[in-house]
Amino acid sequence: MKKIFLFKYINKYKWTYILGLLALLAVDYLNLYIPVILANITDGLSINNIDIKQLITYIIYLLSFSLCIALGRVLWRLLIFGSARRVEYEVTNAMFAKLETLSCNYFNTHKTGDLMANFTNDIEALRNAIGPAIVSSFDSIVMTIMVLYKMMVFVDLKLTLLCLIPMSIIAIGGYYFGEEFEKRFANKQNAFAKVSDYVQETISSSRVVKAFVQEDKQDIAFGKINEYNKQQNLKVVKLMATIMPLLEMVIGISYVVTIIYGGYLTIVHKISLGKFVAFNSYISMLVWPMIALGDAITSFTQGLAAISRLDNIFNQESEIQDRSNAIDLKIEGNIKVSNLSFKYQDHLPEVLSNINFELKKGETLAIIGHTGDGKSTLVNLLLHLYNVDDGHIYFDDHDINDIKLDCLRSSISYVPQDSYLFSDSIKNNIAFGKDNVDMDEIENVCKLACVHDNIIDFPEGYDTIVGERGVTLSGGQKQRCAIARALLKQSPILILDDALSAVDTDTESNILNNLQRTQKQTLIMIAHRISTVKRADHIMVLDEGRIVEYGDFDSLIQLNGTFKKMFDKQQLEFQIAKE
Amino acid sequence: MAKIVEEKIETKVSYNLTKRLYQYIKPYKTSLIIGIILVLAISAMELLKPMLIGSAIDDYIEKYDKIYGICDNSDLYFKGHYLTVTNIEDCDRFATIVLYQDEYYFFDDLDHNSSIMIHDSDINDFSYDDTLYYKQYSSIRLSSDDLKILRNDDIRGIRVIAVIYVIVLIANAFCNFLQTYVLQKMGQNIIYNIRQQLFDHVNSLPLRFFDTHPIGQVVTRITNDVEALNEMYSRILIRLFQSAVKIIGLVIVMLSIDLKMALYCFIMVPFIGLLTYIFKNISRRVSRVIRTRISILNTFLSENISGMRLIQIFTNEQRKYEEFKDKNTKLFKANLYRLLVNASFRPIIYFIAQIGLAIVLYNGAKDVIGGYLTIGTLYIFTNYISNLYEPIQDMAEQFSTLQNAYASSEKIFRLLDETNDIVEKTDPVILDNIEGNIEFKHVWFAYENDDYVLKDVSFTIEKGKKVAFVGATGAGKTSILSLIGRYYDIQKGQILVDGHDIKDLSIKQLRKAIGMVLQDVFVFNGTIYDNITLLDDISKEKVIESAKFTNADHFIEKLPNKYEEVMSERGSTLSMGQRQLLSFARTLAHDPKILVMDEATANIDSETELLIQDALEKMMTNKTTIMVAHRLSTIQHADKIIVMHKGRIVEMGNHQELLALNGMYKKLYDLQLYA
Repeated sequence: MKKIFLFKYINKYKWTYILGLLALLAVDYLNLYIPVILANITDGLSINNIDIKQLITYIIYLLSFSLCIALGRVLWRLLIFGSARRVEYEVTNAMFAKLETLSCNYFNTHKTGDLMANFTNDIEALRNAIGPAIVSSFDSIVMTIMVLYKMMVFVDLKLTLLCLIPMSIIAIGGYYFGEEFEKRFANKQNAFAKVSDYVQETISSSRVVKAFVQEDKQDIAFGKINEYNKQQNLKVVKLMATIMPLLEMVIGISYVVTIIYGGYLTIVHKISLGKFVAFNSYISMLVWPMIALGDAITSFTQGLAAISRLDNIFNQESEIQDRSNAIDLKIEGNIKVSNLSFKYQDHLPEVLSNINFELKKGETLAIIGHTGDGKSTLVNLLLHLYNVDDGHIYFDDHDINDIKLDCLRSSISYVPQDSYLFSDSIKNNIAFGKDNVDMDEIENVCKLACVHDNIIDFPEGYDTIVGERGVTLSGGQKQRCAIARALLKQSPILILDDALSAVDTDTESNILNNLQRTQKQTLIMIAHRISTVKRADHIMVLDEGRIVEYGDFDSLIQLNGTFKKMFDKQQLEFQIAKE
Repeated sequence: MAKIVEEKIETKVSYNLTKRLYQYIKPYKTSLIIGIILVLAISAMELLKPMLIGSAIDDYIEKYDKIYGICDNSDLYFKGHYLTVTNIEDCDRFATIVLYQDEYYFFDDLDHNSSIMIHDSDINDFSYDDTLYYKQYSSIRLSSDDLKILRNDDIRGIRVIAVIYVIVLIANAFCNFLQTYVLQKMGQNIIYNIRQQLFDHVNSLPLRFFDTHPIGQVVTRITNDVEALNEMYSRILIRLFQSAVKIIGLVIVMLSIDLKMALYCFIMVPFIGLLTYIFKNISRRVSRVIRTRISILNTFLSENISGMRLIQIFTNEQRKYEEFKDKNTKLFKANLYRLLVNASFRPIIYFIAQIGLAIVLYNGAKDVIGGYLTIGTLYIFTNYISNLYEPIQDMAEQFSTLQNAYASSEKIFRLLDETNDIVEKTDPVILDNIEGNIEFKHVWFAYENDDYVLKDVSFTIEKGKKVAFVGATGAGKTSILSLIGRYYDIQKGQILVDGHDIKDLSIKQLRKAIGMVLQDVFVFNGTIYDNITLLDDISKEKVIESAKFTNADHFIEKLPNKYEEVMSERGSTLSMGQRQLLSFARTLAHDPKILVMDEATANIDSETELLIQDALEKMMTNKTTIMVAHRLSTIQHADKIIVMHKGRIVEMGNHQELLALNGMYKKLYDLQLYA
């Protein structure tokens, strides 16, 4: 049941393929007549019964056949290779679209480098298999059959059969070498992926590399990977270097058979000299198909390996999908979580256990807790990035699983912890989730996020390109851009995942004031500073995945527990600071 | 006009490219020479093959018209006579074979003159009546069996040729294997070297480079672009040479066999050359466009795969898809254009070659009819003509691949030419020990042009002291931290460490002495242990000690494999705080003299932060510490607090002094307190 994804695309171009193959067939067929014309001329010369007029006729035949062949070749190349390119193009698009549907879990377990390799190497291998390899295999089979027929009928059956013995070795050898080749080629691809991964990692981490003066050691470490890659390449090369000369030798042996037996037949007048010459060129016509067959086998094996890898992606069912009965819901912002427990993988410990809380539309919830206490996980679950395996999340009394993902996510504005930005202009980064945004809107949210002044200070203003992952901005600027980006969505729910950490307190308090003044959203924020959470309607204290305290600021202070302790600590700091 | 200048630049670049590309071959000259010798041998053998068949035809298969001497005794006994071809001078009766209307006839018992006459006579001199007659001489028609006996020598002759052919085949195969292997190995070695050089070079480039170059682009250079050179070094160069040798060899052989026929063969060569040239130019242009578009697409992909989570959260899939499709469409169109060029090139060349063949056939056949040329020679020439055009066509294809490689090498060299403006002095001052005195003297610094981020900044930090920078975002605090480790060079002023301008110091020593706790924590693929030691040799004990010190061991111990837990991509399984802790452990394990912290504590919850403060407190003793933090509480213990605003130092002093000053620090402090 596999490989279905590919058939869909091939099927789309089946007529182009058929037409292309027909052109190829025509070319092959016409090609057979070239030696016949040559044989006629040679024979005519040999027995002295050709005149100039006849010669000219033959030459005209030769040229018109050649012209048709040339045109046919242009045609099939455009048709078949063009289709292969189209399939490549569409598969690439489809693959990107497919990746867009896959869940966080998938990206946690699949490296970017590997996925990139799928896009570049695998799709190329696929294209080779459905383009050049189809041509070669079709061509070689058809050519072989047609040439063989000509050889047997036009020249001599026994001679043809004798010449075929060495040729058949090619097919048998091809199979054996094909398997070995596939193995070595896979290793080579893996080695290349390793090189790619390492380079990607090193360049992404250049700041760390320099800070810890790791350059020389990394050069050495890369040297090892580089060397491994070289060795794997050489293994492929060694095999290739053996196969090709062997192939040529086998073909050569067919020539030897022709010289000995064909020559004998000519001498004893069983075949004419012209036929002997034609037979020689027939054998030369078999060379290309045989080599092509070998190439095609290689391309097919590579293509199959690539297809099965691509298939893994296409057959990947995102564990997060709309249920068939999922509804379009205009979420107002009421959230209820009951008995929620969660672990990322079965063998890992629970990250959240038995979480319960309820949030009315427009209320603010602050979540505080230690690193790794499950705050971000809770947010991930609210965004339905992972499936809830135990317990329930309700938005406006609807189970999260019953709400269409689109509806859910467009109802939530989210500011991630790492404030990931794309290498695009600031304007486009902020307009990220929305179409047709006018400049006023963007400036407005940037003012709310207290980043407008910074942006207009840049020489290019809102058109400043932020560089990959926003490297040209400072941490605080990135965070505030991410906030502006989220605000522009104007959703009923806003989630700040520790999104003010790199912003100084002054600006933080401005941003929070702005939010309170202008937004009527349900707000969930993960924070560490008591000053930040003070104004929340509800405060949740998480400890190792459990809610240890829950309530408003005053009640938690009265409770005299963890929150109070944290509060005191921070107060103490201020106190000390005051002195 | 502008266009012409551009062209000129290009050709100049090309020349330099070739020279630079050649540099990499130099160490492997021996391989190359062996390769060249083998190529010559192979080419010679390739020439030999059709010659052998041609000789089989001319010397044996078509050599039926020998004059046989009739003698007393020989190996050849036919119809009552012993026949010989070797000692015909001693014989006085003769015999010969004549081919007439596709049948062989045997004229027997002739005298010397008549045998010569029959042998040299024209078809029209014979007459046919039941059997073939020449004047009064009659003949017998020969059957296959008769021919087998009569032409036994010829049959033996072609066997000898067959044996030679087999020897040539084996030698050819062996040389081929050796040549491919030697050259591919050379190619792989060169690729290895270029890739290593490129990696080393990129790794040595300053941060400014990484700020301005997308990761994906650089990765493409080191991986795919270098790979494109592989083809050139291991295959194309030698094949070009091989083709050239083939062409030259063929030309010489053809000229020596028959001057006129050879010239006929060459008529079409200029056309093929011209087309090749045009194709080469188009192909180069398209290759460049395609490479650039692939690079753009890959950059987009790598960034968006990494940011996929965000795309999904913002339900932005459709728009990103459109963007991707747009980029992919551009690449697709360029690919189609290349296809069109390639698809028409070969067939056009083929047709021209066929015209050449027609010319040779026509003129050759005319000459054969006129008796100026043997059929064997014509066979050789029709064979040679396709052999001649083949390497010319190959050359064209190789040029196209070469253009690809050139396009890639241009990019590679551009990257290799990226200069590192932060260079160590040739004989840097090596300090016995960096103590940690830092001084900024009127430092002016801009990332770009005159856009100064730091303006006339001066301060001193004595060893072991703690200094905190305070100020609004964008005040230039982070820049100061980068400058101490000389990640950027300043435009004006001086930065001194232990009294030495940092431009005089060894960069390695300087950076090793500085422990950076960075804003963005990078987690490498590898174990926790590897992530703490990085590639340095640090004992397990020290790693665990550092992790305990920074409370990182708290979460590490909870991991299934503890310190041996393998981190998936960028530590995505760790929380931000855990990553921060890991980076503290990493920094502490490397034992720096100067600690530099950039808002490092901001992502940690208060409790953990206090523990870290505590750990850092211990670490800070005897270490110069420079930090940027937003919480006044974390910096109040600093010996010196420097308040920055828009690139200038506005206030400097300890906590009490600054509060007393009642300036910007006081304002920030109050805000923090009552927020």
